[in-house]
Amino acid sequence: MLEGLLIGVENVFDFSSLAAIALGVLWGIIGGMIPGINATIAMALLLPFTWGMEPVNAILLLAGVYCGGEYGGSIPAILIGTPGTTAAAATTIDGYELHKQGKTGIALGTSLISSSFGGFLSALVLMFVAIPLASVALKFGPSEYFALAIAGLTLICSLGGRNVFKGLLAGAIGIFVATIGYDPMNGIPRYTFGSLHLADGFEMIALMMGLFAVSELLSQAQELSGDAEFNIVGEVDTRLPGWNVIKTFLPTSFFSSLMGVVIGAMPGVGASTACWVAYSETKRWSKDGDTFGKGNIKGVAAPEAANNAVTGGALVPLLALGIPGSNSTAIMLGALMIHNVQPGPLLFTRQPEIPYSIFISLLVANIFMLIMGYFIVKLAIKVTKISKPILFASIMTLVFTGSFAYSGETFSILVTIGFGLLGYLMKKFTIPYTATVLGFVLGFIMEANLRRALLISKGNWTEALFNSGISTTLIILAVLAFVGTTYQNLKKPVDIDTSVKA
Amino acid sequence: MFKSKKVKVLLALLLVFVMFAAVGCGGKQEAPKEEPKKEEVKKWPEKDITLIYHSKAGSGGDMFLRALAKALEPGFGKSVIVDNKPGAAGATAWKAALDAKDGHTFLGVSSTLITAPIMNKMDVDYKSFKPIAMMFVDPMILFVRSDSPWATWEDFVKDAQANPGKFNIAGGIPGELGFVAAKLLQEKADININVVPFEGGADATVAVLGGHVDGAIGEYGEAVAQLDAGELKALIAFNKVSGVDIPTVEDKGYNFLVEKFRGVVAHPDTPDAVVDQWEAACKAALEDPGFKQYYTNLKLNVVFKNKADFVKVMEEQDKQIRAFMK
Repeated sequence: MLEGLLIGVENVFDFSSLAAIALGVLWGIIGGMIPGINATIAMALLLPFTWGMEPVNAILLLAGVYCGGEYGGSIPAILIGTPGTTAAAATTIDGYELHKQGKTGIALGTSLISSSFGGFLSALVLMFVAIPLASVALKFGPSEYFALAIAGLTLICSLGGRNVFKGLLAGAIGIFVATIGYDPMNGIPRYTFGSLHLADGFEMIALMMGLFAVSELLSQAQELSGDAEFNIVGEVDTRLPGWNVIKTFLPTSFFSSLMGVVIGAMPGVGASTACWVAYSETKRWSKDGDTFGKGNIKGVAAPEAANNAVTGGALVPLLALGIPGSNSTAIMLGALMIHNVQPGPLLFTRQPEIPYSIFISLLVANIFMLIMGYFIVKLAIKVTKISKPILFASIMTLVFTGSFAYSGETFSILVTIGFGLLGYLMKKFTIPYTATVLGFVLGFIMEANLRRALLISKGNWTEALFNSGISTTLIILAVLAFVGTTYQNLKKPVDIDTSVKA
Repeated sequence: MFKSKKVKVLLALLLVFVMFAAVGCGGKQEAPKEEPKKEEVKKWPEKDITLIYHSKAGSGGDMFLRALAKALEPGFGKSVIVDNKPGAAGATAWKAALDAKDGHTFLGVSSTLITAPIMNKMDVDYKSFKPIAMMFVDPMILFVRSDSPWATWEDFVKDAQANPGKFNIAGGIPGELGFVAAKLLQEKADININVVPFEGGADATVAVLGGHVDGAIGEYGEAVAQLDAGELKALIAFNKVSGVDIPTVEDKGYNFLVEKFRGVVAHPDTPDAVVDQWEAACKAALEDPGFKQYYTNLKLNVVFKNKADFVKVMEEQDKQIRAFMK
């Protein structure tokens, strides 16, 4: 182990390696900031350049991009209410709210520090417990995935503020939208009305940009058209958080990072799920949980720590099992295989320089990210000084370009507009569209795994639902959360005016 | 202060520009040539060549095409550009390839060209194109955990026959080739196993390792790390895996062939001389040292089939899938 780490240090602390990591992080942050480009796409764009590089440098470059990309998405999430990547969707809830309250610097600083912290911690976890963590990931089969999705979905109940039914309605819309496209078990297209564009279902990024960005632009533009001040935000505080603030969210970052690492290690679920689970659990266990959605910095710290902690977790199955659990790690696998490096159980004995260099590079990348992020945030915060009409027009361009660039289909732009209008209407009726996004993200995982579990148990529901201690615990937790929230809401009369505009 | 905003917008615009440029390369700048004479055909290619593919940059098929393109360039003396057109279950790419009548746009294909049109009742399918060559097969195998009670395929068959429907085997979604392979295997070996559809080979492999299912039918490449480490063992292979000793369905006397192929096809109006030139170029590319290193490292199985044999593979696969979709 120590010997391996020394080889890693030797490989990483070399000018070309450090330059590769720095370049990767910078490219990743920029990519993450642009809606429509996530860590995976940013890595794919660099892939051809890695073919001529030394295998270690190639993988360090990609590792840098991976870290930076998972962080970059939070910057537009906070500044313009548009998550740059699907992993930053949960950050939008409190991050954008903080920005609207003028606490922009605090929000951006929290996201940067929490992201770097999450990434750093996950690299340490990967370094020391990759093998045991891989066996935890193996314990998750269809039943456990289903239970995890159900536990995550209970957040829907509380997203609607006092009115639990609005949350359920919004969540149901999301779950319904997730069923559009191929049936995961028998391959038959559902609700596609014969349109080939719907055969693969909706692109998550196009849907999110509609619900988050377009709907926000529409409602803000409407406010502008009245006599309202052009500059709604007014003066923003661009100062980054000090230690007294940082220490309040560090425990949140710590626990969210652990959740992120574990979720990252499970194949098939990644950062876009981790951010919601961390947000939901932090809200559930925090004493000030009811201030989530109203600009609580823990609501920024939790998803950001989790989505960056996914980086270390996602490398667990890749390095320890030789199985890529996500698109990003599949690209890393491709980059390694092209250099004749086969990740898997034998990698640590055959080519120890590769895994240990990755461990060290992830630590370095997250430190680089903290430094580079500081300067990028200082620059990006100036967006707030742009006059609203110009800013809105630019965001609209960016959003449409992004949804087109991601899929290469003009149909995606229509999807973005469609969900933008839906989001706008939901805002009008104070229905939390964030619950729709959550339903969409978890709906498919939930459905496919429940049906898979039932196939395995030959139709026995008890066996499918309570297959193991993990699934039983998660389902009980979910039922308690649902009953608890509903009971609390029923006690109080529903008052529409005080419903939280999520 | 506008700087950062501008940079972002510029980057986005640049991206769009690059995409349009890529489309433009394969695009319609030149009117289709009328009835090219023999001398003109010899001069082909006159400009850069575009290879369209139906999945995103960075996917397995995309990396294969990019490596192939590199190996083809010296022979053609022009650039070969890979243009990703994902979406609409493949139809976007296939229709784009049919619309491009410049004589320099070709299409990279996989078994998706057979499965997707059937599943989605598309008005484009493999018959819309002129085949050039099949180049690789991703071999499929049935694998189980090493600690499972079955040492050989015969053990498994015996146990499965004694316990019909008991064993859970992860496999593809109906309409995918892996599903067809599972169906045919059950039919020929006279067994009844419970096939559980999984979306990707990675998820299925993990489900086997974690003991959630008894085994899986998947690509050899997706299980290779665990096979090498001795955590998994292959009981039977649907296609010969070069350099590895796994009994194949043929060895066991089952008379069927399911091949997950990768190849290249051309626009139906492409002159035969150009198709022949391509076919020869693809064959020659297999000897290119860079390309050779690429496919050896990625453990791809070279199964070269000329245009006539490639059609037969596609026809056979089309029949197999239609038989199970009724």
